[in-house]
Amino acid sequence: MTMTTHGFELGLNSFGEVATDGGRKLSDAETLRLLVDEARRAEAAGLDVFSVGEHYREGHTDSATPVLLGAAATATERIRLGTSVTVLSTNDPVRLYHDFSTLDAVSSGRAQLVLGRASATESFPLFGYDLADYERLFEEKLDLFMRLQRDEKVTWSGTVRTPLTDQRLHPRMRPGGIPTWIGVGGSPQSVIRAARYGLPLMLAIIGGRPQRFAGHVDLYHRALKQFGHETQPVGMHSLGLVADTDDEAVETWWQYWQPVVTALADERGFYAPNRRRYEAELDHGALFVGSPETVARKIAAVAEDLHLNRFDLKYDIMHLPRDARARSIELLGREVAPRVRELLDREPSHV
Amino acid sequence: MSDLEFGLDTFGDVPEDDTGRPTSYAAAIRQVVDEAVLADDLGVDVIALGEHHRPEYSVSTPETVLAGIATRTSRIRLASGVTVLSSDDPVRVFQRFATVDALSNGRAEVILGRGSFTESFPLFGYDLADYDVLFEEKIELFAKLLDEKPVTWSGTVRAPLQDADVFPKTESGRLTTWVGVGGSPQSVIRTAHYGLPLMLAIIGGQPGRFGPYIDLYRRAAAEFGTTAHPVGMHSPGFIADTDEAAKEIFWPHYKVMRDRIGALRGWPPIRRAEFDAEVEHGSLYIGSPETVARKIAAAVSDLGVGRFDLIYTAGAQPVSARMRAVELYGTKVIPMVRDLLGG
Repeated sequence: MTMTTHGFELGLNSFGEVATDGGRKLSDAETLRLLVDEARRAEAAGLDVFSVGEHYREGHTDSATPVLLGAAATATERIRLGTSVTVLSTNDPVRLYHDFSTLDAVSSGRAQLVLGRASATESFPLFGYDLADYERLFEEKLDLFMRLQRDEKVTWSGTVRTPLTDQRLHPRMRPGGIPTWIGVGGSPQSVIRAARYGLPLMLAIIGGRPQRFAGHVDLYHRALKQFGHETQPVGMHSLGLVADTDDEAVETWWQYWQPVVTALADERGFYAPNRRRYEAELDHGALFVGSPETVARKIAAVAEDLHLNRFDLKYDIMHLPRDARARSIELLGREVAPRVRELLDREPSHV
Repeated sequence: MSDLEFGLDTFGDVPEDDTGRPTSYAAAIRQVVDEAVLADDLGVDVIALGEHHRPEYSVSTPETVLAGIATRTSRIRLASGVTVLSSDDPVRVFQRFATVDALSNGRAEVILGRGSFTESFPLFGYDLADYDVLFEEKIELFAKLLDEKPVTWSGTVRAPLQDADVFPKTESGRLTTWVGVGGSPQSVIRTAHYGLPLMLAIIGGQPGRFGPYIDLYRRAAAEFGTTAHPVGMHSPGFIADTDEAAKEIFWPHYKVMRDRIGALRGWPPIRRAEFDAEVEHGSLYIGSPETVARKIAAAVSDLGVGRFDLIYTAGAQPVSARMRAVELYGTKVIPMVRDLLGG
């Protein structure tokens, strides 16, 4: 896996969430065009990666991620373009290969992806899959997708799609394929799977103390060794907002985060957020909300504790004004990123 | 005929570079993007990319390439030509094209077809025996998705949907959708049934023989009470500075491609005399700008079509010659056709 010279990457992650402008909700199409602008902005601010998720619900515009990234590819020159996460379980690995070999071509070699099982389940009924097959779908499809990337000619059979015999796919990807990470929400089994394939690990930490994932990171490194693979990078994805002051960031985020989490709490049956919980998440949890200095310190501390090589900030949340999104991107690239690197350089090397 | 529209179509054939070597697939894809940007600059109305799953073509997923083109262009419309709906999922196709539509400020056009190649069937686990039912059911579902309201549907070729709302929504409220037809009257009638515009793939023989299909389309639309849209046609060709140059650049690569496909379909190798006859009287629009313009004008007025798309690659024609063909199409052929048809 190629790492940049500074050894720590900072990226942005969007779930294609509809933005607002002066209180007006943008249309789906306007939001998609905003995302291309934001990729451009992220590159100008010096960020390393721009990633988009995959969702199938109202208010999210990221149902055709590779297509959106194709547009971002010709709007940018250097920033890498990825996903977080691609729902492998309900995609066809062959189509996915086509999508990403094409994206890699259009972007002159900047495509990458994070594969996951997804925490939202809409794609299962929409594409005719049974949630009961959750584990098997991912396992078999990962096997096929990695074979397609690593071998030029593939013979494969399994239970989740039609078999392939001496199949070559076109357009061919570059030799060895593109950077492919495994996104993990907390299942040790998924951590071991990533290690088994020798693939880099992306931790989705969306609540609670990030340091509790130290065991996962340790497990991952031990498993990599046992499987005889080289060390691979570990990244983390969390939600947050950077604004000029702590107060502004904290109040803006609360306004848009609170209704989203309330609805989600309803749907998935966990506790509704309140101000006390929110503040706890800000202080020592997984929300990266604040001034550039606050967010940089928090990222650096977690990066140190978990031995991270990459941090992606999920910067959009339903109806967050486009100006706030733009400012957050600017500050993350221009102030947080250099400050994080400065803080990490001061400590003993962690890579 | 001033509202006549002109397009360029390609399957992303892997070209030769100027030293005679095939480019990489990635370079072939970027070549298509560059050609589309040039076509946009020159005022060509549409670029259409066909979906294929064969080694000589670089485009297997038109939408991702079209999205890349969207960012770099401002006027040209972005089409598939065709999307093989039979072996794809209508929900995914809608999502991908609605995304292209958004990214291009409403310039996306999906052209649905059954495909003239069959590779996608085994690749995606479909049985060719289901050729008809696959397209029939999937276009029915796609037509429902075009209303952009929650969809309830059930059939035999995919999982049923119950009040499924599909995103993103388009700004116009309706994605421009054509049906590409190769020569089946049943397909023409089906297109009229759904009130969708018809794109005729005329890739051999005299174009005039497609006149009855256009009549059938109009009569069927009248019977169904749907709209008969202006019909489009797409045909292969190539333009260079002289007739001779166009033929000599095109022919050797065309023969390689044609014989490779012919071997799969039981056709004998193509002879030069057949090629010359096809250029003379058939459906190869090859020559100097003036020759090609005259031929297009004749076909367009003969058939009364509203759109002509030139498939400007057929084999490994070199990169620089392709760019020149696009340039001549935009700067010379289109204005000449308009002049010939009386502006």
